Amino acid sequence: MLLFANVFDVLLAPGVLERRILIFCLIGFSLTHLTRLVIKKLGLLKLPMERAWPGLLFSIFICNGFNALFTLLAFEYFQLFLSPKAYMLSFSQKWLAIFLDNGFFILSWSLLYFVFHYYYQNRQRELDTLKLKTAVRELELKTLKTHINPHFIFNSLNSIRALVDLNPARARQAITELSNLLRNSLETEKAQLVPLRQEMDIIRDYLDLESIRFEDRLHVEYAIAEDTLDLPVPPMMVQTLVENAIKHGVNPRVQGGWARISSFRKEGAHVLEVANSGCLNSAVVAAGFGLSNTKSRLQILFGTTARLFICQKEKDMVLCTVTIPLNKQL
Amino acid sequence: MSIRTLLIDDERLARVELKKLLKDHPSIEVVDEAANVTDALDKIDRWRPDLIFLDIQMPGKTGFDLLAELDSAPQVIFTTAYHEYALKAFEANALDYLLKPIDPVRLADAIQKVQQLEAVRLVHGVEEGLPRGMLSENDQVFVKDGYRCWFVKLNEIRFFESVGNYARVFFGSNNPMILKSLNALEDRLDPKLFFRTNRKHIVNLRMIEKVEPYFNGGLLLELKGGDKIEVSRRQTLRFKAMMSL
Repeated sequence: MLLFANVFDVLLAPGVLERRILIFCLIGFSLTHLTRLVIKKLGLLKLPMERAWPGLLFSIFICNGFNALFTLLAFEYFQLFLSPKAYMLSFSQKWLAIFLDNGFFILSWSLLYFVFHYYYQNRQRELDTLKLKTAVRELELKTLKTHINPHFIFNSLNSIRALVDLNPARARQAITELSNLLRNSLETEKAQLVPLRQEMDIIRDYLDLESIRFEDRLHVEYAIAEDTLDLPVPPMMVQTLVENAIKHGVNPRVQGGWARISSFRKEGAHVLEVANSGCLNSAVVAAGFGLSNTKSRLQILFGTTARLFICQKEKDMVLCTVTIPLNKQL
Repeated sequence: MSIRTLLIDDERLARVELKKLLKDHPSIEVVDEAANVTDALDKIDRWRPDLIFLDIQMPGKTGFDLLAELDSAPQVIFTTAYHEYALKAFEANALDYLLKPIDPVRLADAIQKVQQLEAVRLVHGVEEGLPRGMLSENDQVFVKDGYRCWFVKLNEIRFFESVGNYARVFFGSNNPMILKSLNALEDRLDPKLFFRTNRKHIVNLRMIEKVEPYFNGGLLLELKGGDKIEVSRRQTLRFKAMMSL
């Protein structure tokens, strides 16, 4: 280390060391800053580390070269060389000496910066992924809450148009039902929980409209216990299950099918059942984004004892059961 | 000139509504209605309609499945409640679809288009003399392979190739698979237009560019587009007899 060797070797004129350090710091700081700006401009730091390091090393090298040059010029100008021997060296020798001298500091300084930068960036990236995940999840829940199948809307409108001549009273009623459904689906700011009574109103409107389309291909039964009507349920949850029942259990069958919705109290819990004709298709269950989402939504709201369970109850009957513990309700 | 039309939709009210809209078009004669694919196949066979209005989403089988089961497709106007991704699967085919509830203006446009095509078909009069069930060169077939679908006129097809129990149809730059055997196809194709050259191929005679002698007294046909197809020795005699007519 030429710098140190010289410092402790020689008796210094007063103020020389201080001025040398001042110049070293001034030039060092401004040049490393300049290099940082250049690296940023080139976008080197946005590359993954494996691809960025040759460029980074090269820029440190160049930075150090200029640093040595400016320091040398400053030393010459202010006569700050430590020993008379130094004045006998050629310009390029002096440059090389300072280059190696200061290089040590500049390299460590830069490495410190890069390590810090990559560490910070990593953390930032993790944070961003987390934020994105939450956003997606929220969006999923929102679409689940507000989702209404466009097929259903337009098919309903089409049937209503036919009804206008055939059965004007029924047409008027259908328009009210469809309006209720649409209004409900447009209200994005929904409560976390609604009384079952409100959920059932929507389901009745929905199934009435489906009955217009399916006519005698759809049979609906309700078995709702009076004492469950005021119990809280997540909005659109039962509705989604009913929609699934129609979509998979009734719609694909030429001869049609049936759906039954029950709600009752049992062993300290509120049990909601949606049964429909048909066979459970395991592929549908596995792929069904709605079911797993409904399950996690239930458990967030009511704790882990809340359950959603779907099974092939009989040969031609699929049963979906939701169990909500009564004591744990919010 | 009335266009014999079949309505296919699983919802009775949708059919009622469509029938009502069609009352404004005296050229359209609704011969029957069908509520599902099986029913529709029966009624198409019975009535031989010129035009079908076809709902895509139906219980059991879809409208596309129906078309794939037909030997020759009549003119089709799809009706659907919502922009189907499936409709986008069509490859540059002029094909009409109406969104429900149906806009009477769009319906009138679609019917006008059908009338024009129908007029062209009648002028050509290609169907004369063909026995029932035979396909003429202006008949179109519906081909569905995976997610892609085409309406293909028979005179655009270069040849059919047998693949196991099924057949591949070669037209343009496509060669989708159809669920029919080569033998079944041969029975339905006009022998003046299509020729069975060997066990594996049926060739469109109008697509032949060059005929060369081949091994064992057979022939090698070069088709438009460069495909080369062999004529077996047994079929060569028939081929020569036909060509000398």
